[in-house]
Amino acid sequence: MEQTNEHLESTVSTEPAELRRINMPATLAICFAGWLIPGLSHILIGRWIRGLIFAACVVVMFVLGLGMHGKLYDLNVEEPLQLLGFIANLGAGLPYFIAERMGLGVGAQTAQGYDYGTTYLWVCGLLNFLIVLDAFDIAQGRKP
Amino acid sequence: MNLSHFAALTIFALIVSTVFALITKNEPKEQFRYGVFVFLSFLAVAFAVGWFMYPLPL
Repeated sequence: MEQTNEHLESTVSTEPAELRRINMPATLAICFAGWLIPGLSHILIGRWIRGLIFAACVVVMFVLGLGMHGKLYDLNVEEPLQLLGFIANLGAGLPYFIAERMGLGVGAQTAQGYDYGTTYLWVCGLLNFLIVLDAFDIAQGRKP
Repeated sequence: MNLSHFAALTIFALIVSTVFALITKNEPKEQFRYGVFVFLSFLAVAFAVGWFMYPLPL
């Protein structure tokens, strides 16, 4: 009987489970994938539900931003302040490149939703940066 | 697409609060509580700032 109890104690630990850590090259690859396709980093780590919710949030926000005639910023060195908009837009990853390729996101300043749309496009990119950082922390075992 | 200011604000708050809640909290109950708090805070601040600006000659 004592032997059984000892066996149970050795298998059921009362300490918190050790956080799984992924090596740095794989972590960076996961982060890159997550930047390119929003939510993919969490899916690759095994956080399916979280990844799908993140993907839905970023994509819905991006599509709504375009639908409201928001503006996507290009890399324009002559206008340094626009660089910030470009970096924010770039955070959306693949949707940004697809929209640019399709000629979307021209931005109609006379449209009612122009300001909101542009803000949506900035914020969805910035949110995706945060999502990638969250995936980095999880992959490095800093977060459960 | 023409969304009203309130609709655009509400959708924005909903999406951002969802992401914030999932990133900052680990337990589902905590996530829900924090998400609701952030969402309502967005709306409350928007109303407060809106009423604050109402008398201004803009």
